[in-house]
Amino acid sequence: MSVTIALPSKGRMKDDALSVFERAGLEIASIGNDRSYRGTIGGLPGVEVAFLSASEIAREVGNGGIDLGVTGEDLVREDLSVVDEQVDFCARLGFGNADVVVAVPDIWIDVDTMADLGDVASEFRHQHGRRLRIATKYWRLTQQFFSAQHGIQVYRIVESLGATEGAPASGQADIIVDITSTGSTLKANHLKILSDGIILNSEACLVRSKARNLDAADEKALWAVIDRVDAALNS
Amino acid sequence: MLNQPEFADDILALFAQRNARSVDIPVIQPADPFLDMAGEELRRRIFLTESETGISLCLRPEFTIPVCLHHIDTASGTPQRYAYLGQVFRQRRDGENEFYQAGIEDLGNDDVAAADAAAIRDASDTLTSLVPDANLQTTLGDQTVFEAVVAALGLPDGWQTRLVRAFGDAAQIDGLLQNLSQPAARVPGLDDAASALLAKGDEDGLSALVDGRMKDTGYLTNASRTPSEIARRLIQKAQLSSAHLDPKALDILKTFLALDAPMADASGALAAFARIADLDIAAALDTFNARVSALEENGFDLSATRYRAAFGRPLDYYTGLVFEMSAQGAVLAGGGRFDRLLTLLGAQTNIPAVGFSLWLDRIATARSAANGGATR
Repeated sequence: MSVTIALPSKGRMKDDALSVFERAGLEIASIGNDRSYRGTIGGLPGVEVAFLSASEIAREVGNGGIDLGVTGEDLVREDLSVVDEQVDFCARLGFGNADVVVAVPDIWIDVDTMADLGDVASEFRHQHGRRLRIATKYWRLTQQFFSAQHGIQVYRIVESLGATEGAPASGQADIIVDITSTGSTLKANHLKILSDGIILNSEACLVRSKARNLDAADEKALWAVIDRVDAALNS
Repeated sequence: MLNQPEFADDILALFAQRNARSVDIPVIQPADPFLDMAGEELRRRIFLTESETGISLCLRPEFTIPVCLHHIDTASGTPQRYAYLGQVFRQRRDGENEFYQAGIEDLGNDDVAAADAAAIRDASDTLTSLVPDANLQTTLGDQTVFEAVVAALGLPDGWQTRLVRAFGDAAQIDGLLQNLSQPAARVPGLDDAASALLAKGDEDGLSALVDGRMKDTGYLTNASRTPSEIARRLIQKAQLSSAHLDPKALDILKTFLALDAPMADASGALAAFARIADLDIAAALDTFNARVSALEENGFDLSATRYRAAFGRPLDYYTGLVFEMSAQGAVLAGGGRFDRLLTLLGAQTNIPAVGFSLWLDRIATARSAANGGATR
């Protein structure tokens, strides 16, 4: 047997993840050429490394396709239905920091809190003949935040797969739920984050699947990785 | 396709005796009306698919909305009593994803008390005939009474609607009461220009300000909230944030929400509450008492029924009565009044509506438990 660790396959996430592993003394060697999507870790023969997209990592760690993964907390919480039963968050890695937020047009000067938004949502149909529309790719996080946490039941989600911040200006949606690191894109699109509208402070995490039972040797190899990453983060 | 429960024909026969006309509702339904009415939360619990042309379709998750749509589409006059029996499909953590429901929707009966009482009576009679020894317990709530209490406390409209919207959701109500007990706050998050206009109560000025900014930023002012709507609500919000409940009023609301009495004592308990709290809720109590009288008239046994003041459903189309019937902890029937639903769905006139739904899978379980597990 062996254990599989998945790292992001491209971009900043990949570079930052590799540098954390490097600081932890985990030297990752690609199998074959540099662009290969598989690798090994020096000194840990029972560990395989797979390079996958961040959202695939979230899904695979949830269903047990991989044992350990580096991916954004937002993706894990959005993709998995019962996240606490499916995965353990082993470490927060200190990069990829971004917030999932509720943002409304900044000309909505009467809306500053979720309670205000609740008022607007409840009257919306009466005023406009349709429900309030939210553009987002975060279906689950939006529903949990609006329905369960804030008791706002009546709104519609419009799926947005990119450039979500443009939806209110173009009339596709009234407000958005999106991820932002500096808020500058929101500001440039004349949107403001509600004062209690932060759904999640996300960052890259080391996430372990609960779906698999490992034998003693694999368990040991897995913990060797987790412990070393932990130690590197705390040094 | 699951087999119909063996008692399905008994239910339909009983519904027919009660002058309810059987209606056929397709299993595959457009999803939008459900999501529009019950909210996006439903999305996780229904079986959703998309047609080739991009229309969202779902397997029927319940009957009330399609029955009402059918009524509107066929322009059937009112009053009208519809009976249904069929499979519904919902993703559930506990229990099967497909199960049978049956029920009656009573649309357009202006005698609200009689219609309410008939819904309760029909549900109870059906259950009693199916599970004779079930020791059925009924819980009844009434949003109209809550609305009257909130109105009589003299809170601004905005606060009243917030509270009524949360009715039935204990955690939300607690949070709102908490906010209402805080001393008045200023309206946060405003720049100087807006603050100055708000201080003068200048709605037109605020509207012009928003309009100007919309034009500067290239917003489609007709696509969403308009400048005047924003200005109006800002002024309303300033009134809201200056309102708060004194400890006595807060205490009255909490006392009301804690009311839980046998049905036979409920009218008296509500009258005593109104007297002690010095609230004028007479009109709502008249409606409540008329329903009690109608129940007594139609022979419903009130002895196994409780009134719980905080019992409600936090969806905006429910209005007055809500009720639930359970045996051994399992809810076998749920019902209530939804006077706002038909206009929300597009009906041109107001159509009062009340109905109930039976959970046939749970009834089957209760029946086999009563028979010592002999049948199945």
